[in-house]
Amino acid sequence: MENNERRKEYDQQDRHCDRNQDMCSSTDGVNGTALQRKVSLISGICMIVGTMIGSGIFISPKAVLFHTGAVGPCIGVWVLCGIVSTLGALCYAELGTMITKSGGEYSYLLEAFGPVPAFLYAWTSVVVLKPACCAIISLSFAEYSAAPFYPSCEPPIFIIKCLAIAAFFLLVIINSLSVKMASNVQILFTGAKLLIVVIIAIAGGILLAKGNTQNFSNAFHGSKTSLGAFSLACYNGLWAYDGWNQLNYITEELKNPYRNLPLAIIIGIPLVTVSYVLVNIAYFTVMTPVELLQSPAVAMTFGDRVLHPLSWIVPVFVSFSTFGAANGCCFAAGRLILVSGREGHMIKILSYINVKRLTPSPAIIFNGVISIIYMMPADIETLINYFSFAVWLSYGATVLSLIVMRFTRKDMKRPVQVPIIIPIVVLLMSIYLVFAPIIDEPSWEYLYCMIFIMSGLILYVPFVYYSFSWAQRIIKPLTLHLQLLMEIVPVENKEE
Amino acid sequence: MTKEDVNGTVVELSGETCYDNNAIEERETAEAGGACQAVPGPEIEKPAPYAGMPKEVLLLYSGQARYRLPREIIFWLAIVTSLMLAGATVAIIVVSPKCLNWWQSSPFTSSGKHNFLSLCFSSGIQTKLSYFEYLNVKSISIGSIYKSSSNDFGYEVEDFREVDEVFGTMEDFENLLAAMHDKGLKLVMDFIPNHTSDKHVWFQMSRNRTGKFTEYYVWHDCHHYNGSTTPPNNWLTVYGDSAWDYDAIRGQCYYHQFGKGQPDLNYHSYHVQEEMIEVLKFWLQKGVDGFRVDAVKFLLEADHFRDEPQVDVMQRPENISSYSELHHDYTTTQLGLHDILHNWRNVLDEYSREPGKYRSMFTDSFDDNKIATTMLYYGSSRIKEADFPFNFYLTRLKNQLYSRNVFELVDLWMANMPQGHWPNWMVGNQNVYRVMSWAGQDYINVINMLLLTLPGTPATYYGEEIGMDNINLNSGNAEDPGKLVSNLARSPMQWSSDDNAGFSKSNRTWVPVHSEYRSVNVQMQKNDSGSTLAVFRALALLREKELPLHRGWMCYVYNDSNVFAYARELDGFKRAYLIILNFGQGTSTDLQSKIPGLPKMMHIRLSTRAENNGQMVKTSAIGTARGEGLVLEYHPEWLFHRLNRYEKQCFISDRACYLSMLDILYKTC
Repeated sequence: MENNERRKEYDQQDRHCDRNQDMCSSTDGVNGTALQRKVSLISGICMIVGTMIGSGIFISPKAVLFHTGAVGPCIGVWVLCGIVSTLGALCYAELGTMITKSGGEYSYLLEAFGPVPAFLYAWTSVVVLKPACCAIISLSFAEYSAAPFYPSCEPPIFIIKCLAIAAFFLLVIINSLSVKMASNVQILFTGAKLLIVVIIAIAGGILLAKGNTQNFSNAFHGSKTSLGAFSLACYNGLWAYDGWNQLNYITEELKNPYRNLPLAIIIGIPLVTVSYVLVNIAYFTVMTPVELLQSPAVAMTFGDRVLHPLSWIVPVFVSFSTFGAANGCCFAAGRLILVSGREGHMIKILSYINVKRLTPSPAIIFNGVISIIYMMPADIETLINYFSFAVWLSYGATVLSLIVMRFTRKDMKRPVQVPIIIPIVVLLMSIYLVFAPIIDEPSWEYLYCMIFIMSGLILYVPFVYYSFSWAQRIIKPLTLHLQLLMEIVPVENKEE
Repeated sequence: MTKEDVNGTVVELSGETCYDNNAIEERETAEAGGACQAVPGPEIEKPAPYAGMPKEVLLLYSGQARYRLPREIIFWLAIVTSLMLAGATVAIIVVSPKCLNWWQSSPFTSSGKHNFLSLCFSSGIQTKLSYFEYLNVKSISIGSIYKSSSNDFGYEVEDFREVDEVFGTMEDFENLLAAMHDKGLKLVMDFIPNHTSDKHVWFQMSRNRTGKFTEYYVWHDCHHYNGSTTPPNNWLTVYGDSAWDYDAIRGQCYYHQFGKGQPDLNYHSYHVQEEMIEVLKFWLQKGVDGFRVDAVKFLLEADHFRDEPQVDVMQRPENISSYSELHHDYTTTQLGLHDILHNWRNVLDEYSREPGKYRSMFTDSFDDNKIATTMLYYGSSRIKEADFPFNFYLTRLKNQLYSRNVFELVDLWMANMPQGHWPNWMVGNQNVYRVMSWAGQDYINVINMLLLTLPGTPATYYGEEIGMDNINLNSGNAEDPGKLVSNLARSPMQWSSDDNAGFSKSNRTWVPVHSEYRSVNVQMQKNDSGSTLAVFRALALLREKELPLHRGWMCYVYNDSNVFAYARELDGFKRAYLIILNFGQGTSTDLQSKIPGLPKMMHIRLSTRAENNGQMVKTSAIGTARGEGLVLEYHPEWLFHRLNRYEKQCFISDRACYLSMLDILYKTC
């Protein structure tokens, strides 16, 4: 039975692979154990959109307005940030189709600069950035789910932690059981999120048509003209767009990646940009800039003013939205860990996949455990804020790798090739974004973060470079039993 | 090794098993390869498991019970755990008590509107507002700022939709509101629905009998001849003269409960009710957080216009010259009053739906000995009305500041308040003498301690927290000397020792600055740990921080002619507080003998005398100096409200218990 089904899948895959011979020779045969190409274009787009649109646009689209000071420039900045993200994503489209490995930045850095930068990236991402990010998204899911029950105060911390952990447990289970199920969850929740965006946008459009335009009549009044304020607005706006690289983490599972990866990017990011702009316009039809800045949850305020008595749908859909984002995070983080494990930069067992379910369950569970640990302490967000510069550092390094490879790897096949000016612009932008928060508010914590990142080298030398035998002596039996317990085996490399 | 031969896989094993994976580290690949070579043919025994084994080898062993069982167990455990966590969340949400709203969680300060407002509106908003943050006060009532003919300090409103130019423009007001909201402060506005100024455009239209405005005011035919008017009935203003005045333009008398220039609106008119709702909405849309509804009991008058009964039936009607000589059965608290308030409440509720935007209503009505009438403003169990009616009863302490009286006045409110509602306490306000003037330096701190440790919202009047005193009537010159008596407690806030107490940079202030502002001001007291301000601030912080103090039980423990003592406690909370306040002479109180089982020693968490903070006292001899208040902390072994004996002496608004393990409150206890 199972074999028959699998064969069918392989057959389908063969048909894809006719066009992409070297991608998947699909000669895995009966014994092949590898991640399947189960992510279609639709789920690819959902992966991008679902991760980009988290909760920010619903809860606090304030920072951009705060720094621009007026409605007109605010919307301008949202558009501009969308364009910058698209440019960044185009570079990633080139990289993703050139190096068709999962793992995103990690694989590109490895290819362009060798193992050390790639290891440092993996070290920082696997241990801090990805799980902390998952933790924060789950916590905000819990917060938005619990908030309606505590109308005038903060929900008790205990239930927020409890709900966040429960939700992430569930996501880890889903993602370990089935890739198909995980991507269906992603499609479902992205659908929900787009639905609420559409509802808000349409409601805004109707109000606009009714003549609620007073906030747009003087759209540039009070705008701040300083470059510093403008750049801070962009910095904050770009955070709302973060996640545009999500699909690059799972290239190996994308059906027909040469077509679908660029296509998903070209469809997904403009979709998000348009959503953001429309939602912002809708907000301004019922809220003055001051009201928007002071609302504790902007979409809720909008819902109460416009959608009453259906205003309850807003908090419901906002928590759906965060749940979807958490799923995307869980999905992608698992793949990054898998790839770095496969390269020997993490404990090897993390790269194994489940024999029967063909999911990277060790990586997902590992990420889940770290994420849940991060949910426990009181305030994880302050920690992650300081690491935010590391995110742009990795984007910058990745785009630099694209430029470098244009010279060092002239012969590589590039199905998508962007004009060289685009990566250069994105590189400059990233350099700026690495330094903007540090210059804005210098703090020793940035130095500690840098020290932490560099401390990866202390692990790299003995464990990866020399691969001490005593470490192996512990890991070997552990691997053996865990393998048997979890029914996990190494991935068979399809390209062979 | 294994008992079962997994469906003869041995035979199926072929050379293909020997997998080769580039991605895997070389060393391990070599071993894997080595292992593969060890299994060259089908006839060989099945291979031993090894780290990095492929599917074929793995499946030989992974089905063994020793792996399968734990696997299944762990899987189901994971599912059960996540369901349990989700269930726990739901359960806690269900048992959580209602959380405290902004008007419950923070003390409430009334600022005479001329005080920092005239300054806030123009400049220095941030510094003045950060004073409230410093004090830990989040709700601020700003008084009336409507455009008015300022004879009665803004209570003669000429336009409900305009800010008086004395304070600034509407834009200034909006900026102030935004600045307050940025700091998390709430702004409560005065709403003066009973009357307008006679210069209000509505009154002008009503005089001319223009359309719907004709019935906006209370008009009645009256006899007017040769400049003398015979009023339609014996109704009086609160000042004791006839409440009726002749208007030559309309040729009728109009009714005014207050001054001659303050004609009463006619709430029997549907249009007036609508109009006032629009006024509420106007300010709610601006973002105002609540209203103090002024003089609410006077809203309606009986439409039969009969004479009110005399208190002394033998008195000749023409000799009646004081408001207290009539029973005000036809001019106060008329049928329908509460319907109007319900409508207002509904309007506020409409604007309360947005997150973090609860709009509250407080009524201002002093019903003297008919406290039950005041309690009606809380609404009924089905229909909510005011969040609380202001409790003016403690202002009676002015004449009788002694311990038993304090107890009786506290109990008067607590015993009459309908269950489940939220009390409030006020000692000073703009219409009475400064607390300092009658309590003196000796008792000012203990009165602040009483306010801030009773259950409910402490409502203070600006300046009481630094112990400001009445101004001397003969010093300085005010804008309107005729009204000076009412300005006694309305002098500018004493910020610093600078000119005009740092209140204003102009040479003259609305009401003169108190002459002793150089010794009593915020700046000086901030630096003095024993000052009235420091005690107030410490109390406000303690009240916010300690659950028993802001939402726990209060139980009367003891009172005599010198001290009044009560406990604040919460089930499950490891700390409880015994508050013992001295309103008489220095004394030593033995609570140990009166309450057997009370801990022998208690820790002074806070004293109005800073030097006593942190000391231990024996409960068999709790010494309090004249006017000293103590907040004693102890670890309760039993709770007062659990004892039958104290059943009738304990109060709580919203029953809740604390579970320290999870740091949550629950109501099922």
